[in-house]
Amino acid sequence: MSIANKPLSLTINGKAVGPLLVPEGLMMIDFLHEYVALTGSRLGCGQGVCRACVAILDNPDGTSEEIRTCITGAHFFQGKKIRTVEAHAKRNDKGEVVELSPIQQAFLEHYSFQCGYCTPGFVNAATVLVEKLKRQPVDKDKVEETITDALNDHICRCTGYVRYYEAVKEVVMNTPGLVKGGKA
Amino acid sequence: MIAKPFRFVLIGLAAATLAGCGVQADSTGSKAATPASAEQVARGKYLARAADCAACHTAEEGGAPFAGGVALETPFGKLYGTNITPDKDHGIGDWSADDFYKALHEGVTPNKRLYPAMPYTSYRSLSREDTDALYAYLMSLKPAKVPNKEDELHFPFNLRFGVMFWNMLFLKDSLPDASTGQSVNWQRGRYLAGALGHCAECHTPRGQLGQLNLDKPLTGGVLGRIGAPDITPMGLAARGWTAQGLETFFATGIAPQGSAYGEMYPVIHLSSQHLSKTDLTAMASYLMGDKLPAPAPLKSVSADAAELTAGRQLYTAVCAGCHGREGEGKPNVTVAMHGNSTVRNADPRNLIVATLDGIKEQRFPNNGAMQEMPGFASKLSDKEMAQLANFLRASWGGQPADVTADAVKALR
Repeated sequence: MSIANKPLSLTINGKAVGPLLVPEGLMMIDFLHEYVALTGSRLGCGQGVCRACVAILDNPDGTSEEIRTCITGAHFFQGKKIRTVEAHAKRNDKGEVVELSPIQQAFLEHYSFQCGYCTPGFVNAATVLVEKLKRQPVDKDKVEETITDALNDHICRCTGYVRYYEAVKEVVMNTPGLVKGGKA
Repeated sequence: MIAKPFRFVLIGLAAATLAGCGVQADSTGSKAATPASAEQVARGKYLARAADCAACHTAEEGGAPFAGGVALETPFGKLYGTNITPDKDHGIGDWSADDFYKALHEGVTPNKRLYPAMPYTSYRSLSREDTDALYAYLMSLKPAKVPNKEDELHFPFNLRFGVMFWNMLFLKDSLPDASTGQSVNWQRGRYLAGALGHCAECHTPRGQLGQLNLDKPLTGGVLGRIGAPDITPMGLAARGWTAQGLETFFATGIAPQGSAYGEMYPVIHLSSQHLSKTDLTAMASYLMGDKLPAPAPLKSVSADAAELTAGRQLYTAVCAGCHGREGEGKPNVTVAMHGNSTVRNADPRNLIVATLDGIKEQRFPNNGAMQEMPGFASKLSDKEMAQLANFLRASWGGQPADVTADAVKALR
């Protein structure tokens, strides 16, 4: 049985990609790894549970959301815009990282991860959360449950979540405009 | 269809005029209370599971067993399962075995008339021996001091005396069968599925006053968003069910034809998984009938090629990662879509609702599991949902590709 190829064009990390001929039914994580050499997204469970593979889908209305690349076919992203973990840091002309995003920096400072396998998913989920809070700030007394709701599905097997949690809370509390009802 | 209040009142008055008043006298007579034996209590425990008392009388998430509090949404308002522990203030501690029999048989307790959300319409066929065993078991439990919640029914359904007229019109001594049979298994299954398991309460369609439509037993009913499917022999066979498949389904919640979800999921957990193999065989043979219908083979269906291709692409994009490229499913992850009972259902309602809303992660007996299914309400448009449903129905369900975008919209 031969698998049909179909063209795919999309925007990844702000750059237009394609059209590339991609097998029908190829999962997005494989496309990212094998066709565009973006290996930061991790294949964990392969069935949409662990969230290590999460990328960010940027909707036309300006909202962003998490999307699991291990269970979503590459062609779902035809014409869409996504960001992977490679998108967040600022880079110089040579492509070298010169400044981390606030979430990445906070994860480092809190020693949030050890093996790092789940980290791309956490970075993307926390970034989606910060972007959502920019649009819809939450009350100060709802911050903790908001973080839990946003990151609850992501599985980490090293650090026990507390350090991730503390790092995200620090970013949320210290970034102007994310929280209503007074500063931390 | 929230209310036909005036009609309800008129029918009630007419019934009162015609039939006089009052509850029928208890024909069983009183029995002297005898202490319950351990054997009777154990039998009562088994029967309480077979009758799935816990579904309505034990609140989820840490509710004390049989202390009530489960909310039951009905077209007439919200009801709450009551405390049936032997607590004297809030439970049934002051009830006699006669009182208990009367509650199950006639829907009348020492304090009030029950609403038929309590399925005394089915329990009416329970034997006195079995209600005594149930009573003995419940009275052996630890009393729970948990107050009952007030019902939240709309007028005029909040007036309990109205139930008297409802009973006169709709309470029958036995419910009709959807299958035919005479074997010992069939007879036992009839009692298990009818009197105890009260399958008809969800799977038989209801009329405007909430009464079972006894002309169409087990042909399927609607429970909120989910439809309880047709479980007549023909209905089951048309979706590929076999007696063996049903038995596996009752025991484990997962069969080649699909897994339990919606309201059926707690039924497996609280009730059917605990039944003996003999009883499960009996229940399956009652539902299928003594003359087993052959499971229908998957029909090939012709449909618009471009629409099917669009549906297949959607399936590949957002479903195949878990359900498999050819709809084969993955053990303990997802059910197969190929030949799935919900996909094969002529009524696409459940297929659409499951795809829109998703299904929470589920644990099944014997360490079985199904992982969380995400809802696609925000990911797919009405048109895309219809294309996806039609691809599934035509390719793996033997059903026509007749789902419209409007049908999806109506279920959002």
